[in-house]
Amino acid sequence: MSEEKSHATGTVEPGDTSKRVGMEVIRERGLDPEELREKLIDAIGAEFTTYYYYTNLRMHLAGEEDYKEITEDARLEDRAHFELVVPRIYELEGSLPNDIRDFADRASCPDAEVPTPMDDSGGFDTSELEVEDILEVLLEAERCAIRTWSEICDMTRGADPRTYDMAQRILNEEMDHEAWFIELLSKERDDEINPAGHFARGEPGDAPYSTNNRFNDSA
Amino acid sequence: MTQSSNEMWTVTIVVPEGSSLDEAGETYDLEVGTDETILATARSAGVWLPADCQQGWCTTCAARLVDGDVVHPNARRYYDEDDEAGYILPCTAKPRTDTTIVVDQHDDFLEFRAANDRPPGNSKLNG
Ligand code: FES
Repeated sequence: MSEEKSHATGTVEPGDTSKRVGMEVIRERGLDPEELREKLIDAIGAEFTTYYYYTNLRMHLAGEEDYKEITEDARLEDRAHFELVVPRIYELEGSLPNDIRDFADRASCPDAEVPTPMDDSGGFDTSELEVEDILEVLLEAERCAIRTWSEICDMTRGADPRTYDMAQRILNEEMDHEAWFIELLSKERDDEINPAGHFARGEPGDAPYSTNNRFNDSA
Repeated sequence: MTQSSNEMWTVTIVVPEGSSLDEAGETYDLEVGTDETILATARSAGVWLPADCQQGWCTTCAARLVDGDVVHPNARRYYDEDDEAGYILPCTAKPRTDTTIVVDQHDDFLEFRAANDRPPGNSKLNG
C-alpha cells in the first residue's frame, strides 16, 4: 500500500453521525484533522489573548490618538479572527478549553504585555513607559501571528480548502497589521519614513478579509 | 574563548529515524553564526525544521542538546529546568560552541513541561 493510501479510512455509512466526512476527506488527503484542530486552538488562543492584551496596550497609548486608533483596528480584527475560526474547531470535533488559563497557556504566541513592570500596589508603573516600546510589542505580536497562520496555510494547502481559506484571509490582515506597526515604529523610534501604503479601515475592526458575515453588531 | 559577533560554529542537526519530518534519519552540519538562530540558519539552508512562533514561546521547535552550548537571549518561555534537562528551542537558540542537537522533540518536551508544571505542557496534553 502506498504511503498516501495508508491515511485513507474508507467510507462513512449513510446516516452515521459518529463520523464526519468533513474530517475524513482531510485525512484522505494526508493531513491529520485532529492535529490541525489542536493547532487551530493554539492559533486562536493567540488571537484571543492578543485581543485582550491589545486592550491594555491601546489604553497606554494615551495622547497618541493615531496610534491608539490603529491598535484598536488590529485589536478588533484579532477578535474577528477568533470568531471566524471558532466554529471550525467544533466542525473538527474539538472544543475550546473550559479553563481560560489553559487557553492562554497554549496560545501559539507570547502574551503581548504592556512593557512596564507592575508597581508595588499591582498597578502599572508608567513612569518609564515609552510609546516606541509599546509599538515594538505590537509589531512582534503581529509577526508571531504571521508565522502561525503561514504554518497553517502550509499545513492545509491542497488538503483542507476550508481551513486554508480562513487562514489565508487572516494572514492578509496580519500582514496589514505588521506593515502598520513597522511604519509607526520606524517614525517614532528611528525618525524614518517607512510607509505601509495604508490609511485607515472604514470602521474600527473592519476585518475586510476575515469577516464572513456580520451575525450581530458585536461579532 | 572570546566571542566576536561574526564567529561561526558547526551545528549538527540530527533528525531521528522515527520522525515524521521528510528529513527523518538525516544528519546535517550547518555553519551558524554567534548572532544567528539555529532554526533560521537551518531553514535558509533548506532544512525545514518545525516551528511556529519563532519567539521561544510555543515549544513547537523543541530539540535536545546532545553536545555543545547554546544561549536563548530572546526566548519568551524558557526555564532553568529546560536548560538543565538539555532541551533547547532552536528558534531562539544561538550557538556558543560547536553543537549537536536532535530535533523534532515537541511531544517529549510537552511531557517534560507538564511534569514540571510549566506551560504549555498540561494545557496541550489535556486539551
Ligand atoms: S517556534 Fe515557538 S518556541 Fe520555537
